[in-house]
Amino acid sequence: MTIGELWRRLRFWRRRDALTEELAEELESHIELLARDFEGQGMSRAEALANARRRLGNVGRIRETSRDSWGFPLLDAAAQDLRYALRGLRKNPAFTAAVVLTLGLGIGANAVMFGVVDRLMFRPFPYLRSPGHVHRVYLRSTDRGREVVSSATEFTRYLDLQRWTTSFSQTAAFTDRSIAVGSGAAARERIVALVGQSFFDFFDAVPVLGRFFLNEEAAVPKGANVVVLGYGFWQTEFGGRDVIGQSLQVGPLHCTIVGVAPRGFVGVAEDGPPPAVFLPITTYASNHSNVRQRENYYRNYNWGWMGMMVRRKPGVSRDQASADLTGAYVRSWNAERALSPGLPPAETAQPSALASGMKSAAGPDPGLEARTAVWVAGVALIVLLITCANVANLLLARALRRRRETAVRVALGVSRARLLGQCLVESLVLAVLGAAAGLLIAQWGGVGIRRLFAATGTATPEVITDGRTLAVAGIAALAVGLIAGLAPAVLAGRARISESLKSGARGGGGVRNRTRVRSGLLLAQVALSVGLLIGAGLFVRSLDRVKSLRLGYDVEPVLVATPNFRGIPVTDQEQIAVGRRVLQRSRELPGVESAAWAGSFPFYSSSGTGLYIPGIDSVSKLGRFTYQNATADYFATMGTRVLRGRPFNAQDRSGTPLVAVVSESMARVLWPGRDALGQCMKVGADTMPCTTVVGIAEDAHQRSLIGDAHLHYYLPLEQFGEGEGFILIARVRGDPVHEVETLRRELQKEMPGEGYVVVRRFGAMVDSQRRSWRFGATMFSAFGVLAVLVAAVGLYGLIGYNVDQRMHELGVRVALGARRMDVVRMVTRQGVTLSILGTAVGAALALFASKWLQPLLFDQSATDPLVYGGVAALLVLVAVVACVSPARRASGADPNVALRAE
Amino acid sequence: MTEIRPEVLPGTLDLLIMKTLSLGLMHGYGIAQHIHRLSGDALRVEEGSLYPALQRIQLKGWVTSEWKVSATGRRARFYRLTSAGRRQLGLEESGFHRSVAAITRVLRGAES
Repeated sequence: MTIGELWRRLRFWRRRDALTEELAEELESHIELLARDFEGQGMSRAEALANARRRLGNVGRIRETSRDSWGFPLLDAAAQDLRYALRGLRKNPAFTAAVVLTLGLGIGANAVMFGVVDRLMFRPFPYLRSPGHVHRVYLRSTDRGREVVSSATEFTRYLDLQRWTTSFSQTAAFTDRSIAVGSGAAARERIVALVGQSFFDFFDAVPVLGRFFLNEEAAVPKGANVVVLGYGFWQTEFGGRDVIGQSLQVGPLHCTIVGVAPRGFVGVAEDGPPPAVFLPITTYASNHSNVRQRENYYRNYNWGWMGMMVRRKPGVSRDQASADLTGAYVRSWNAERALSPGLPPAETAQPSALASGMKSAAGPDPGLEARTAVWVAGVALIVLLITCANVANLLLARALRRRRETAVRVALGVSRARLLGQCLVESLVLAVLGAAAGLLIAQWGGVGIRRLFAATGTATPEVITDGRTLAVAGIAALAVGLIAGLAPAVLAGRARISESLKSGARGGGGVRNRTRVRSGLLLAQVALSVGLLIGAGLFVRSLDRVKSLRLGYDVEPVLVATPNFRGIPVTDQEQIAVGRRVLQRSRELPGVESAAWAGSFPFYSSSGTGLYIPGIDSVSKLGRFTYQNATADYFATMGTRVLRGRPFNAQDRSGTPLVAVVSESMARVLWPGRDALGQCMKVGADTMPCTTVVGIAEDAHQRSLIGDAHLHYYLPLEQFGEGEGFILIARVRGDPVHEVETLRRELQKEMPGEGYVVVRRFGAMVDSQRRSWRFGATMFSAFGVLAVLVAAVGLYGLIGYNVDQRMHELGVRVALGARRMDVVRMVTRQGVTLSILGTAVGAALALFASKWLQPLLFDQSATDPLVYGGVAALLVLVAVVACVSPARRASGADPNVALRAE
Repeated sequence: MTEIRPEVLPGTLDLLIMKTLSLGLMHGYGIAQHIHRLSGDALRVEEGSLYPALQRIQLKGWVTSEWKVSATGRRARFYRLTSAGRRQLGLEESGFHRSVAAITRVLRGAES
């Protein structure tokens, strides 16, 4: 079709009503002229007119054929189908609601899960230039036969990898910290992004005000006191005013604001609140509270605290980049070994590096949460399949009910293609409505799911339905519409006209065949639902296990307070004095049962140092040992049980013999077959005097809920490093949520200057460790229940439909002497058989998948017969319930009605 | 054996209409009459296909139309060949002659 023709067609289309009239007039005049001719041949006027009309033929057809030139026949047909579909849907609101709701749930579930997975793994960071070439560096090495992957690295290592590689056009160091920003009462803990030289060069971002950092401001070893504000922080805290040159306190530092990042710029912050401010990473490191770190962070290898990002040069493949990094890492490993000879040689440790996903979920070691999210996204797809099957079933049932209407239309000459088109238009309309419902559900349910899954306290209001999610929902809707619409369309197209016309809505030959299709769809639904429910059961039990797991301490009544002395040059002595005052103060509070002071804390920080045991060559070969230095009340406050010997007491002070309490596992590993009590440990160096083991405590989880080796020991605070770290632990009597603020208020009174206290619930800290299982349990359960409901409705519909179809036959049976009970049994048997078959298939599927699901579970077999059995029983029960009402109807089959109908 | 009715060859209706219009302005009835007469009453144009064909050719841009009062004093729609239509007519005419010649050759060949 040429442009000119298209244009004329459009013009004709706009004038089509006038053209129709003109054509009528033209034909009228044609008839008139013809008639005059005939009259000229000697016919009467009436005869001539009749003859002329006959000559012209069917005026309606001429008009119809001409009309083809006046518009867009295909579009017209589609519009007509659309109107027809909408009319049909309006006439049948219950059916429409059922389909739209089912579709909405399926599409909504997928939209939400796509959003979660997309955010976790795929969506590039805003403003990042050609994100396909930007990678995060992951370091791998073998530690005691186990491969360790880490994205955290030392600044010195970063410098090594930068210096000794040639594959990259850009490299940058980055990390973030939670630091108090602001002064006085306005100070709040906020996310501070720490970024190295050329970090901003990775992005196409232009500051809305001022500039980003100059290279010399992020120089090694000492960066300048300058900050760039995040857009959101600038808006909320400064009202978007010109702030360039103003001062902002970040931790202890008084910094000058040099710029403001553009809207939406988050750097490489993965989730949670966007960074409030950006600070040069070397400024942070060179002002670190630990003297050893701040002076040596760029030349020693014992502080792995940051990440490294790189941009590949054009033409360098990922594999080449990784190989280049590995070479540099081996060199760096040897450099480290020159400083600390205790490090195993590169041949043993096999250090290697990898340029992989910027988002850790897309990296080589995605972590439980990301892996669980991927599973749940798969589950959402299954829900969509179930939805699809169910909608196809509903449409099919409807197509069967309308069989007679269809047959009439085929007999009247409607083409099969047109019928198929109509079916498709109808199902696409349903799919679009379903997608709209799904997006509503996604928007509404997504907030809750994000809260369940993501880190707490997301600052920005989340828009779930962004462009990418919309696109995915659209594609899902289109696919569902096509799949669910085509099945009934094909079956409807096959309807045999004469048969349907003869037998009406009832009976006909194809029924059994179509029932088989519907049963197959239902079987698939039941099987998939069973799979989901089994997954749900496994995750729920995992969550139960992880919740009831004895961690080696009590969690709920414990509060953790971390004082922050900032802006004040506090000496160790002053800090200890403040610490003692704070400890004393907390003990006096009525809500506090007991309080202790520790240098590190589970799931918050950990300490390690050299450990030497007489008679053992290399203790570090046996595992990684961590310790806590704590006051005597530690065990009572935490609820950690000392199984043998004694905890510390007030007599274990500096000057008295050194003592330690070790964990059960540590005692077993270090002194197998011997009594650990009374043994000698040398802590820090092998020249130290003996530290005597006086107690053995139960194993306690320190850094992880799974795979923790529990090689941990406790030292009296006054004997070992009183000034190192300060964490106050309080065991409270009342509601811990309520006590958090009370404790914070009281402790704040003891803080000098601008110092402040952060109080956290230990329960919340541990909870975040359990997130992946809670997420899995909740989502599998929600989707599983959803799937079963959908399947139950489908089963009810199918059995009910079959009963309606067989009412006649059942009536005859009753007339021939069948008892009511026989009829009920016959109807129920069909549903139960179907569900048992489906359960078997679903269980087989679950067994097949169990191998991959196993690592995500906690202390729970993925083939737990209890879960499988429970789900099977539940499904049979659901089937029986779904059959009750149709069976009752069937038992009321009236022989009189049946016989009279013949 | 049924008698073959003298109808317009399929696909040639457009050609005949345009050839007719190359003589000048004409209304639908006139076109039909002209073809009928010129073919020595051998060809009869079905009115049922004449008018849709006129719409189709207008859409192609080969013919335009306007309402005028005819010699008999009636309002009628008169069709006119456009310059694009004149070019198209030339193309179709020569194409037609070529295929007729080819068909004739084949028919003769089959007879001998």
